[in-house]
Amino acid sequence: MKQLFSILLLLLAALTSCMKDDELWDFERLGVDKLQGVFIINEGNFTYGNSSLSFYDVSSGEVLNDIFYNTNALPLGDVALSMTIRDSLAYVVVNNSGRIYVMSASTFQYRGKITGLTSPRYIHFVSDSKAYVSDLYARSIAIINPLSMEVTGSIDVGNTQGGFHQHSSEQMLQYGKYVYTNCWSFDNKVLVIDSERDVVVDSIEVLKQPNSMVMDRYHNLWVLSDGGFEGSPYGYEAPGLMKIEAGSREAVVVHRFERGEQPSELHINGGGDTLWFLNRHLYRLPLEGEAPTLPELFVESPYGPGFNGGFYGLDIDPASSELYISDAVDYVQRGMVYRIAANGVPMDTLRVGISPASFCFKQE
Amino acid sequence: MKRIWFIFAGLLVAAPLLSQGIRDSLFTIEAVEVTGQRSFIKEEAGGKYTVVDTSILKEKASLSLSELLSENTSVFIKSNGRGAMATASFRGTAASHTQVSWNGISISSPMLGMVDFSLIPVYIIDNLSLKHGAASISDRGGGIGGSINIENRPQWEEKFALSYIQGVGSYGTFDEYLQLGLGNTKIKSSTRLYHNQSQNDYTFINRGIGNLDPETGEVENPLDTNKNGSYLRYGLVQELYVRPHKDHLLSLVYWGQFGQRAIPWPTSYEGPDNANLNKQDQASHKVVARWKYYAPVGKFELRSGYSGIQMDYLQERKVPGLGTVPDIYSVSDQNSFLNTLSYERELGSRFSVEGKLDVNHHEVSTIDTVSGLGYQEQRNEVSLFAAFRKSFGERLNMNLMLRQEWVDGRAVPFIPFLGVDYRLLKGEELILKASVARNYHQPTLNDLYWQPNGNPDLLPEEGFTMEAGLEYQKSFRNQQVKTGLTWYRSDIENWIMWIPSTRMNLEPINIEEVLSTGLEYDLSFRGELQNFSYGITGTYAYTSSENRGDPLVWGDESTGKQLVYIPLHSGNMMLNLGLHNYFFTYQFNAYSERFTTSSNDLSRRDWLYPYFMNDVSVGGEFRIKKVRLSAEFKVYNLFNESYHSVLYRPMPGRNYMVVIKFNL
Repeated sequence: MKQLFSILLLLLAALTSCMKDDELWDFERLGVDKLQGVFIINEGNFTYGNSSLSFYDVSSGEVLNDIFYNTNALPLGDVALSMTIRDSLAYVVVNNSGRIYVMSASTFQYRGKITGLTSPRYIHFVSDSKAYVSDLYARSIAIINPLSMEVTGSIDVGNTQGGFHQHSSEQMLQYGKYVYTNCWSFDNKVLVIDSERDVVVDSIEVLKQPNSMVMDRYHNLWVLSDGGFEGSPYGYEAPGLMKIEAGSREAVVVHRFERGEQPSELHINGGGDTLWFLNRHLYRLPLEGEAPTLPELFVESPYGPGFNGGFYGLDIDPASSELYISDAVDYVQRGMVYRIAANGVPMDTLRVGISPASFCFKQE
Repeated sequence: MKRIWFIFAGLLVAAPLLSQGIRDSLFTIEAVEVTGQRSFIKEEAGGKYTVVDTSILKEKASLSLSELLSENTSVFIKSNGRGAMATASFRGTAASHTQVSWNGISISSPMLGMVDFSLIPVYIIDNLSLKHGAASISDRGGGIGGSINIENRPQWEEKFALSYIQGVGSYGTFDEYLQLGLGNTKIKSSTRLYHNQSQNDYTFINRGIGNLDPETGEVENPLDTNKNGSYLRYGLVQELYVRPHKDHLLSLVYWGQFGQRAIPWPTSYEGPDNANLNKQDQASHKVVARWKYYAPVGKFELRSGYSGIQMDYLQERKVPGLGTVPDIYSVSDQNSFLNTLSYERELGSRFSVEGKLDVNHHEVSTIDTVSGLGYQEQRNEVSLFAAFRKSFGERLNMNLMLRQEWVDGRAVPFIPFLGVDYRLLKGEELILKASVARNYHQPTLNDLYWQPNGNPDLLPEEGFTMEAGLEYQKSFRNQQVKTGLTWYRSDIENWIMWIPSTRMNLEPINIEEVLSTGLEYDLSFRGELQNFSYGITGTYAYTSSENRGDPLVWGDESTGKQLVYIPLHSGNMMLNLGLHNYFFTYQFNAYSERFTTSSNDLSRRDWLYPYFMNDVSVGGEFRIKKVRLSAEFKVYNLFNESYHSVLYRPMPGRNYMVVIKFNL
């Protein structure tokens, strides 16, 4: 019996060694100062709190992963969605953490946060002291003061008339004093906001579920709608690309996709004369004069025909016109980014964080 | 870290040898009856079975089944936190590959294909048995990982029994259990009522939130409370047994339960306090009627049951002037009608046959009332089962089981099982077991019909399993040793995974091939000496569950890697000591690292470090006239460790519970 007890005591002693929670914040911090490069915003998995930021140094080809955490010993949060750089600061919208983190765009050091946001999506600067934050669930756009990092008000955009809780707000673009935002979820509107009075002044009907939009050099808004999906209670129609003249707000359908296609991620080059988007593969649409041609296939997806997915995120470096396409693979491993020259020549492949969704370009 | 695993595994292996020494030197008491579990039964030949000791069920009556399974069996429980959803996985398979039955009827959700074990109180269980791997084919198909079987049993010998358990614990936790048993040898009723609730408002240092100190500029992590983590569960189990004749047994058992839990925000949440409030309600009603007839030509059983689950998931905001506004309000209704007719017959003493027919019907309707998204579907299942079991002499048993299933009229490929038991030493309970089987698991109704992107063309998942093991048990005088080691290999094809389709949407496809190989070791070792009793039970599992599928794309790094959240090593040990009327229990539970990425990234962020948990309890039992009274004090997380068992979800530190039991 004594034998037994001594062994048990030994065992107990061996087991008191603690679990390694300390390792999560007790490590050597990253210390860098970067002039130029590309940020990759990795969404991570919903509720896992594993979103992250990666940084690609274009000149050296070096990839730094998890830069915010490694610099500040602070996890970025749950589902980081978008990032905007204003002067020396970067604003990272962390959707399911209800906040925007503010950090130095060159050293990645944590500078503060804007909290109290319901389901923030994108940030748009109206001026140095005023920015809008779009939102999926709040049915309002938050007005914030980036200098004091406080929420100062909100713009009510809700619509309960149509049987659906409408007017979630997504991306924002500005023409004059008007800010345009697309309403994606069970909706078919682009709302127009007067940024001097902070009120919705107009809405433009577009094809169902506008998921992304850009503005070209001629001040036309281009809106890409996915049409919803088969069996959706809101209805389904063939996806399409629309052009809206920003001044007159006149809208025309430019291209209609086949039913079942799922176009997304509409982007434009720095010169504002070529559209890019994903539709399983990467497509290009040059805007030559009045009547654009059909979108042309530019880069094919490496996935076989059994997969609808493939490419996940897309953006174009406004200075070099190089393309960055992300691939989330199975969503539960670190994703990849392909860097492709404007002429289609592959330049680099990066291994980044989980579910790389969007990009942000830091110029010198 | 490895060292600890070696010590742990070493102790488990050494224990039977150690017992030998103890017996020789200490035990001189006359033999008492030790209820050993028979291990050489032709009906169970080749399969791996675990029956959880009823003393453990009694001792852990105030826990949920998820806790008991992780502490006392080799089943891996993935728990999302204290009081939160917990699912079970056998042998490195998915939660949906575990079949769960209650009094013979399946209680797995037809919509999700799984069971939330945190919602099942141990209190309502009289018998808990596990069939590992292909042994589950004797109950139903689809248990590629295995099956967990919960039973109620009548206590015929008791005319009247009344018991009450009151538990009070940290974080505003209150547990109440009441049982009343009435009847005689012909008719028996048992009523159980229970009520569990907890504020669950433990504190932790929140590493997900950083505040900048205005003076030093340092990042500080606030001390936070687990907000919106409360849970409530209450229910009733009513059993009625009638024995009108010695050959007939009729029973009717009902189990109704309501559970409600708030789902905490992510720990990094800094949105408004009145938004993103998540809540889940689950109401369930299960009822089963059984008629057993022990006829001269064999044993007949007719069983008919119903299982209904209503699940509501709500995400809401409080809007001034408007009250609460739902952002998501998903309502699911699941109804299953389950019927079985079975027949067993012994033909001589060495050969038995069994035949079974199952006819089941499931209906699921689910809708998010905010968006209108949902589906309404049903499924019909018919399953025919036949088994032939034969003993060859005293040393060899054979078990052939065959199953054919039809789902909505379409035949599922044939499910066969062949198992043998061989007694290695004459007269000794040292048994070599081996089996080979094929099994199929149907896609869940969500896999097929979920809006958007459910895939009606999915094929069933296919498992091919081989296993071999050794079991040994010995009872001498007043002690008993029981131990077993099993090796298995399962090739699973057409494993269903939800992979990205378009942005923000996933779709299920038959993509993965998984090779799961491993070892299961268990040991139980107990005895008595005058006023002193002891017991050690432990399990250790080595679980390699490897993705063998083709890469999705050239950069896919998941091929050849361990599946997410499956630990390679897992083990547990429970030590019970009793002296006179006092008892002491030490519970240890451990898992090696778990990955949250399919590529098994070792970055601190995506990696769950090894888990070691220690709990102890002490108590005493007293008698005041006719009332038996026991009081117990439990300490959970004895070493007050900071840890998390899913990413960024800190768990409670040291916490306490007092349990008082009255028995009349």
